[in-house]
Amino acid sequence: MRSTFLASLLLAAPLVLASGAHGQPSAGGVFPYPYERVDLDNGLRAYLIRAGAPGQVAYVTIVRTGSRDEVEAGKTGFAHFFEHVMFRGTARHPSYDKVAEGMGASFNATTGNDRTVYYLVAASEHLSQIVDLEADRFQRLSYEESAFRTEAGAVLGEYQNNAYSPFFVLDRVMRETAFEEHTYRHQTIGFEADVRAMPEGYAHSLDFYRRHYRPENTVVVLVGDFDLAGARRLIEEHYGGWERGYQSPQIPPEPPQRASRERTVRYPGRTLPIVSLNFKAPAWSATDRLAVATEVLGAVAFGPNSDLYRRLVLQEQRLQFLAPSFDLARDPSVVTVAAMVNDPADLEPMRAELLAEVRRLREGPVDAGQLEATKSNMKYSFLMGLETAQGVAFSLSQPVISTGGIEAIEDWFETLAAVTADDLREAARRYLDENGLTAVTLIEAGGAS
Amino acid sequence: MSGASSTRGRFRAFALLPVAVAMAAPLLVACSRDGEDAASKPGTVTFPEAASPFVAFDVWVRVGSQHDPAGKEGLAVLTAALLAAGSSQDDPYPSILEQLYPMAADYSAFVDKEMTTFRGVVHRDNLDGYYRLLRNAILRPAFAAEDFERVKRQQLDYVERGRRFQRDEELSKELLFAMAYRGTPYAHPEEGTVRSVRGLTLDDARDFYRRHYTRDSVVVGIGGGYPEGFPARARTDFDALPPGEVPAVPPPQPRRPAGIEVLIVEKDTDATAISLGFPIDVVRGDDDYWPLFLAASWLGEHRSSFGRLYQVLREQRGMNYGDYAYVEAFPLGFTTMDRPINVARRSQLFEVWIRPVSGTGGENGDDLHDRALFATRAALREVGRLADGGVPAEQVERTKTYLGNNAVTFGATLLRRLGFAIDDAFYGLPDPGFLRSVRERVGALDTEAVAGAVGRHLRSDGLYLVFVTRDAAALREKLLAGEPTPIRYAGEQPPEVLAEDNEIASSRLAVTADAIEIVDISGVFEGDGPAAAEATADESRGTSAGGS
Repeated sequence: MRSTFLASLLLAAPLVLASGAHGQPSAGGVFPYPYERVDLDNGLRAYLIRAGAPGQVAYVTIVRTGSRDEVEAGKTGFAHFFEHVMFRGTARHPSYDKVAEGMGASFNATTGNDRTVYYLVAASEHLSQIVDLEADRFQRLSYEESAFRTEAGAVLGEYQNNAYSPFFVLDRVMRETAFEEHTYRHQTIGFEADVRAMPEGYAHSLDFYRRHYRPENTVVVLVGDFDLAGARRLIEEHYGGWERGYQSPQIPPEPPQRASRERTVRYPGRTLPIVSLNFKAPAWSATDRLAVATEVLGAVAFGPNSDLYRRLVLQEQRLQFLAPSFDLARDPSVVTVAAMVNDPADLEPMRAELLAEVRRLREGPVDAGQLEATKSNMKYSFLMGLETAQGVAFSLSQPVISTGGIEAIEDWFETLAAVTADDLREAARRYLDENGLTAVTLIEAGGAS
Repeated sequence: MSGASSTRGRFRAFALLPVAVAMAAPLLVACSRDGEDAASKPGTVTFPEAASPFVAFDVWVRVGSQHDPAGKEGLAVLTAALLAAGSSQDDPYPSILEQLYPMAADYSAFVDKEMTTFRGVVHRDNLDGYYRLLRNAILRPAFAAEDFERVKRQQLDYVERGRRFQRDEELSKELLFAMAYRGTPYAHPEEGTVRSVRGLTLDDARDFYRRHYTRDSVVVGIGGGYPEGFPARARTDFDALPPGEVPAVPPPQPRRPAGIEVLIVEKDTDATAISLGFPIDVVRGDDDYWPLFLAASWLGEHRSSFGRLYQVLREQRGMNYGDYAYVEAFPLGFTTMDRPINVARRSQLFEVWIRPVSGTGGENGDDLHDRALFATRAALREVGRLADGGVPAEQVERTKTYLGNNAVTFGATLLRRLGFAIDDAFYGLPDPGFLRSVRERVGALDTEAVAGAVGRHLRSDGLYLVFVTRDAAALREKLLAGEPTPIRYAGEQPPEVLAEDNEIASSRLAVTADAIEIVDISGVFEGDGPAAAEATADESRGTSAGGS
């Protein structure tokens, strides 16, 4: 502990480890830190990135499995549940938590559609213990059925934490409507009935671990202040014996949508009406101009700097909020624009306004200044996410999810730089197609708001 | 499309998660305040980190919801929101958004009982343009009618609908604070009540600003890689405000009940949100603060598996998602793993947060209330054991090690480090301030010091208890009957857990009929209902310029 303390005293400058550090600098790229890549024979890949505050490391493990991979009936939510189970210990470290707490580490994990991410942040002096602890549980997790059943109760509790929020209800119905086959049909937390049945899934959990927690499906991102050669040795030593065996699930492709779909949700609590327009969109890509243009479209058309936002939220004040969510995913998914309407009687006109804007995007090029401002916004959003070591690792997650590596981040920014107003129009024509639309409206069950 | 973890902004997907952590923490860089630095002037807190590519702002105004005039609860929030999400005399709000957008920067207002802060971070490439907007927003607000309508409508939607329906666990906490501070300036929620917000006018906001946003009430906090002389120039700008002190409000004198006072909110739900607590006479800077800080960490470190409550309720029994304990206000804990900044107060509660406990249904029948009362009993039992016996010696050492190591993560980001320095100024803490004292102060504690402090301040009998659940009348009957409330498990449990369960299920939870109040969700913080329903605080949600 003492050495950390002294290290902090002597090295007061965060975020400046880049210059002069070992490894390859990313010449001329947007990502400002040099890094090294380690590829083991078993398929495990690790990135060693020197960045962040002195004396600390963030150890982030990305498993390229999420709720997308839950293809079995009755097992929705299992990837997330299994994330919890991963903290239940091994023969050598019966209590993961106690070891991590002993280091004073901050640690947790999150699960999404396409990935499960584990992180631990601690003083650099603990690095060898961290690699040992993490590598151990990914290869030799060991838990009793009774502990497994107990953990299921915690997941039910997590489900209940926000199960009554209108946004949660809306998202659930949107997915069930927009997707017929693909597993994006269910939320990451899973269907409530499946969550309640989780205690019975012990055998499935063992199988899940065996199939998904394999080196070819895992990427380690170590960010912080550490010795590169020493870190590489630790990775080789602790992960080298991990056996291959990843079994990619057969995720049913979503059939093309031929006509728009509509649902109205009657929410039992109080809320202003929410209209949510969802369009079938392509998979994330770092090099496909139209995919990147689609991500840009959301901010340009519906973001806080858009004409529509200015008019409907600020000037006419007919919307409480207007929120685009145009992030793409590993598989083709949906992009969404959601709006909360101030006057329930104005719901239909507002929906028509949003659709008219979509039509306009298909017809005419967007303002060039607006496009350039959005490119700048995306660049600075990325840079401002790099303040901490953990932030650096998390900022690189989408390329890892989609490509298995971080290199595509630079490709994405190159593609972004090349995107033109014509690309935006073409992306709107291709993807903001009303035949691919799922429109969901949420209103109070009682009728009036 | 968002997953379990919400995502916004392609590559910042995780940055907005309520994930913890931190790193950074060059806790030992120079932090100067109030004139110690040649570059700074009185009324300035600086936190220079020359190598940082960012500049952070935390402009603190010594005004809070405690200054809301009677009947105008929510005015401090509305005023601050109007500044942060409204036009200045120099730029209409749409133009402000347009200028902030390419920077991917924003600034937000946060209002707590005693403090209002305007906070934001910008890449130093964009410092000049950003600072001009932030400065003008605070110094030269336009008080435009269209901004007022928009901001008030958002606040009203929140008090009428969002607060009541989006997150029961946060609501239960707000109600706990409202009960405990009933009759004091801390009682009402920062956002106000439905009735009070409806009545707020633009003139109210203009007048509130004129009386409270003065040269003497504003402290300019700046951190990061700013150019030499920048804080002094900024302070000179803020000196353009008229002089004047904000009227002093006496510290609240909350009442500590003799028994257990209960509020049950009737709401259609399959899980029960539970909060309990009572006032303590200790704030940051007091002698007993550090031993209580350690005791709360041991009992229920925020959103960590470290705490005893978490172990008993979640880890061993799988009753809910987590259970935590506090000796300082921690609004919006469900959104973050990080300790809050800028909610410094002169009065605090000891608080236990039991996350929603669901019924298991099926062959167990309707066990929703049995499980809620079991969790409550288990928590009270732990609080009682702590109050009576202190923290066991080996656990004191374990907690000292944990906190000593974990302290480096408190100041994860530049803005957080700056925010802690602002709070030091509020509490009058001398150098090296809170952040850089944790390790040493916690390290100096021993078993006796902890036992002494918890013995003086904690107890498990006189307290406030809030439930948000369905069929409130049935829960009331169950509370009054005082019968055991056992639970059943989906899996096997070791004999020692089952034996402890018997003790918990039948442990004393004595409530009298006149100490139970029931309120329907539709009346919560309406402003004309029963006392508890009209009091309470909300989470000082940020209202901001700059969109997402």
